Amino acid sequence: MPLEPFTLSQPLTMGVELELQLVGNSDFDLSASSPDLLHLLARKPFPGNVTPEITESMIEINSDIHTNFAELSAQLRLSRDTLVQACEQLNIGICGGGTHPFQRWSERRIFAKPRFREVSALYGYLAKQFTIFGQHVHIGCGNGDDALFLLHALSRYVPHFIALSASSPFVQGNDTLFNSARLNSVFAFPMSGRAPFLLSWEEFEHGYFSKMEHTGVIKSMKDFYWDIRPKPEYGTIELRVCDTPLTVERAAALACYLQALCRYLLQRQEPMPAEDDYLVYNYNRFQACRFGLDGAIVHPKTYENLSLREDILTTLRKMAPHAEALGGTAALDHLTVVTHVGSDAQFLRDQYAASGSVEGVVDAAIRRFRD
Amino acid sequence: MPDILVLSAELAWPFAIALAWLAGEIIHRWINVPRISVYGLVGFAVAQAFPDLYVSDSSSPVTLLANVAFGLILFEFGYRINLHWLRINPWIALTGLAESAATFAVVYAISHAAGMPPLTCALLASLAMSTSPAGVLRVINEQNSSGQVTERVLHLVAINCVLAVFVFKVVVGVWVFRTSGSLAQAVSHSAIELLASAVMGAVLGVIVPAVLRQLGQVGREGSVAFALAVVSLVAIAHAANLSPVLATLTFGLMARHRRIVITRTERNFGAIGELLAVLLFVFAVTTLDWERVVSGASLALALLLARFVVKIGTVAVFAHPGGVSWRKGALTGVALAPMSVFVILLLEQTKYMGIVLVDELAALAAMTLFMEVLGPVITQYALVWAKEASSKDH
Repeated sequence: MPLEPFTLSQPLTMGVELELQLVGNSDFDLSASSPDLLHLLARKPFPGNVTPEITESMIEINSDIHTNFAELSAQLRLSRDTLVQACEQLNIGICGGGTHPFQRWSERRIFAKPRFREVSALYGYLAKQFTIFGQHVHIGCGNGDDALFLLHALSRYVPHFIALSASSPFVQGNDTLFNSARLNSVFAFPMSGRAPFLLSWEEFEHGYFSKMEHTGVIKSMKDFYWDIRPKPEYGTIELRVCDTPLTVERAAALACYLQALCRYLLQRQEPMPAEDDYLVYNYNRFQACRFGLDGAIVHPKTYENLSLREDILTTLRKMAPHAEALGGTAALDHLTVVTHVGSDAQFLRDQYAASGSVEGVVDAAIRRFRD
Repeated sequence: MPDILVLSAELAWPFAIALAWLAGEIIHRWINVPRISVYGLVGFAVAQAFPDLYVSDSSSPVTLLANVAFGLILFEFGYRINLHWLRINPWIALTGLAESAATFAVVYAISHAAGMPPLTCALLASLAMSTSPAGVLRVINEQNSSGQVTERVLHLVAINCVLAVFVFKVVVGVWVFRTSGSLAQAVSHSAIELLASAVMGAVLGVIVPAVLRQLGQVGREGSVAFALAVVSLVAIAHAANLSPVLATLTFGLMARHRRIVITRTERNFGAIGELLAVLLFVFAVTTLDWERVVSGASLALALLLARFVVKIGTVAVFAHPGGVSWRKGALTGVALAPMSVFVILLLEQTKYMGIVLVDELAALAAMTLFMEVLGPVITQYALVWAKEASSKDH
């Protein structure tokens, strides 16, 4: 199937996808409840959209397309309330967080849908280990070239989103010492990482995608698990590095930060992105995953060592006029607070210290998702 | 040379348990039948083959161990009940009340029509209301199932068991007081007994988590503390003629709501829990007698069929307003089939009163045997049909 043409969409519009965990209220382990939950939700109209995910203990919600923070967070809150209410009726716990702190991958049940079965057969334990929960943010682009420009220009800011959203310190019952351990699971896939450095859609389509398709390794854009990937059918780029935050407000704030950054980058005041920007990409990404806001990154152009927290604060200040123009000032304020009080990963570690158990961590995440 | 008969009497239980376990593993792997069904079959077979070796009165160590085993299962069961859910979704409690009441009415009517005296009918009907919590929980853990059928079965069983214990005690009370007392006296006597049992469980349910919190340790140590508390509860309930069923169930409920979490590895209380469960399911059927089973078989079949249909129908009717499809509702009703261990232990407990019901009710003996073996199989199929059991192919 050749790559579809890049649909034109309203620039700087945004949409959010959140993968959420379904857990049992007694043992706090993941619970294969998505068929029951979807059955109940189908009885009433849902604000946005809700779909099954690869394992039955996960569901995904999508927002509609929005232009500002107030609308987006209002809709996400409404979706959240609808979900929480339905889950209460079925005795299911629902929460955010990039990983489930103690689930055992061997016990997951794969949702009965042919594509999921195929993925499971191909990737073996990786597919079940892929029981991780991410937030994807879509930003509308005026054309394919803009999309590729943004995709590469944003690479320098990817660590910001990892550190600000990080909410997966625990895996299989242990503290990994990472703030976002979830991304380590994504790395395991052969088609993960960064997109090839191409700035023209024409070239991407004919010089890269069609060749890759010809090799038989991939069939569609869906087979690429890149950190940022273009989504031609929506006319967007999709940022995929964020852990699902513990609250929908943070999810909305992260989307609006990305929106403001895109507005700034499209004014093309920064030096053009270059292949060499990627020399430090994996290192910076690791720093953000491992140390979160306390990480130290290397600037891709100047090779200067920067505190990630400082770099985020500087960028947030720089984005203030753009956020104001887009109606996203409250979003940046929210993220500024995060740099001071710590990320969701920190919150989860505090809960572990207080309750003494990984089950207590899930319990706290469920309560945090509600308020 | 030691007397062969003494020796065999000493070895009777260990052999039966080992045989049951081995048969359970082999047959479970071979045709995927729940292990506990096999334990029941083996127990019944050895008890019929060597009736003299498997006599146990209510104070024998085996009876006490069986009660401890049941207590551990009930504790874990109570631990999985979410009272908050019953408040939020009142349809669950309503379903439980309706299906219990309907079962009572139908079983009472049929046995009355079969010519039984009213009190016997009432006893039979009260026991038929209940579903075996042990059978259901063991199958759920064995299948590692999760979903609405699983959740609802657990909560409905809790409701119908509490109701069954209450009604049963009231009927027994009436029986005992028939000559001297009144219905009011019987009700109040039973109510006090149940209340005392529940309070005892609740108090421990507060104390044990508090102690664990002080120790600052949860996990494996937690399981040991809970198990010891269950053993003490069962012993106290026995000594004071209270209901160990209600006490351990309340203990689990309370401990859950005090938010101390048992780690997953300790499901079924680990290897010791498994061992005691084999003993429990073997023990339960050794109290039954083949001749009574045969003579009560036809009435038992009619009653079981009626109970089965009534439970499925009632649960299915309430399914849609309760938030699930009618199909899942019906399967929840199907999964409520097991009934045995609970009934037998309840009866054993009343032996001290001089009421030996199993002996009077041939139909009950047959019902218990059928349901001890078939019940878990039916529950397992309900979970598989509801697609809630973990399939083993990936």
